[in-house]
Amino acid sequence: MTVDLFLTGILQGLILSILAYGIMIPFRLLNFPDLTAEGSYPLGGALCATALSYGISPVFALLIALVGSGLLGIATSLVYLRLGVNTLLAGIILSTMTYSLNLRIMAKPNIALFDTVTIFSDLDCINNIMVLTGIILAIQIPFTWFLKTELGLSLRAVGLNADFAKKQGICVSSYTQLGLFLGSALAGLAGALTVQLNQYMDISIGVGIVIHALAALMIGEVVLGTQSMFRQLSAPLLGSLLYQQLQGLVLSIGLEPSDLKLFTGITVLAVISIKKLNQRI
Amino acid sequence: MLILENIKKTFYGAFEPVLKNINLKLLEHDFCVIIGANGSGKSTLLKTIVGDYPLDGGRIMINRYDMTKKDRSHLIAQVVQDVNKGTVPEMTLLENMVLSRLRGYRKTFSCYDKYQDQILNELKEIDIGLEQFIHYRLQHLSGGQRQMIATIMSINSQAKLLLLDEHTSALDPKMQRILMDYTANAIKKRGLTTLMITHKLDDAIRYGNRLIMLHKGQIVLDVTGEKKATMTITELLDLFHQYEDIGLISKDAHDS
Repeated sequence: MTVDLFLTGILQGLILSILAYGIMIPFRLLNFPDLTAEGSYPLGGALCATALSYGISPVFALLIALVGSGLLGIATSLVYLRLGVNTLLAGIILSTMTYSLNLRIMAKPNIALFDTVTIFSDLDCINNIMVLTGIILAIQIPFTWFLKTELGLSLRAVGLNADFAKKQGICVSSYTQLGLFLGSALAGLAGALTVQLNQYMDISIGVGIVIHALAALMIGEVVLGTQSMFRQLSAPLLGSLLYQQLQGLVLSIGLEPSDLKLFTGITVLAVISIKKLNQRI
Repeated sequence: MLILENIKKTFYGAFEPVLKNINLKLLEHDFCVIIGANGSGKSTLLKTIVGDYPLDGGRIMINRYDMTKKDRSHLIAQVVQDVNKGTVPEMTLLENMVLSRLRGYRKTFSCYDKYQDQILNELKEIDIGLEQFIHYRLQHLSGGQRQMIATIMSINSQAKLLLLDEHTSALDPKMQRILMDYTANAIKKRGLTTLMITHKLDDAIRYGNRLIMLHKGQIVLDVTGEKKATMTITELLDLFHQYEDIGLISKDAHDS
């Protein structure tokens, strides 16, 4: 029983790490606090569930979710770049709109996929963990390499000092769009993976999800630090695994699942306090 | 190279224009020093040239093209007083240097480590020991070193027009001298056209082939060539006081 709980925690932690990675790109690399994930996570889920229910292959359904929710990120960046709307507000507007869009895509509030083939197997938890680890490596290795290229360097410069980047002839708006596309696409992928793992999609899966991912990311950052790019890029994975186990722990000692949002919020605030205390020293 | 025609600029809500009909023509390889009291419009002039502020009137020509309404930031390199603006403090020296080297080029999917040897050699040539910091983040270097790096980056970028806004003023006297000598040599070597603001009148005498003085948004002094070369600091100081004291007296008279 305990091992089962632990493995489920790992599995969910791995999926959460993809979302946390997606959040890290705008928040940490682009200095663009972005809440679009609140919309792109369920959008990815909705696209994937609908695709699966039409008999599309599970891998292709993931790709549809990836690209579809990535486009939502571009929409957010355009609202920010063209209309000058505050970054957080742009994300909230877009994710609110996505709620209706998801209902249109799904045509009903939830889709059950219990008889559908997914990339996961029903029984073998270890196998599922391997599949997810493979997906995570397929994301992290190319992205880490990308940051070492001229293009990746420019992306980081945009986040760290946009005025300077502009003076170096870097097109700030294209890189903002690229970063938000990537971040949002990963959030959508995480939503789609959640749907395939649970074999169930519900319209409300994204509520409060950004704070979950943020909590995971920040835990990782506090544990690993952010002195080097390698640490920063590893923070989402480690943080998500720790955070998911922490959640399992508080549930097993008697907290109700409905208490989790309160717990998450407290975790985020606690991590921020720890960071603040560390700064003072 | 650079032609300014009847440049006018008034800030919204201000009574007096900051720049009144500035006319200036810089030839290629000109090194023009700008002096003037605080509020005379020196920095505003540079920011207008680079495009940070829109013009109220007039025309800016660069290389015979009318650039008044066009984005001209890629044609102009700039070093300003604030050392944080000219660099990315969170990035390493190598990463900063690569960014300035890539200016104006299409960025590719190739790793930027490949520039390391070239950049190391360039830094060694300057010979102030910067090469040992190539993997340091700039925030861990001193203000003097960072400003030196910002200047090197601006000079090495492909732009032929260089604007310096009191770029040595935040540094100690020794570092000021090193940076200023490096700047002057590099400008000569690269054949850049330069506009430099300074408050140090001895620098204004020592460097450049042209000297202009701004007063209340107008050019009140413009010396060049032989006359600039033979000018002494006493003469310049006298001229400076002549304008600024008149300003003070008339203001006092007005106040009373």
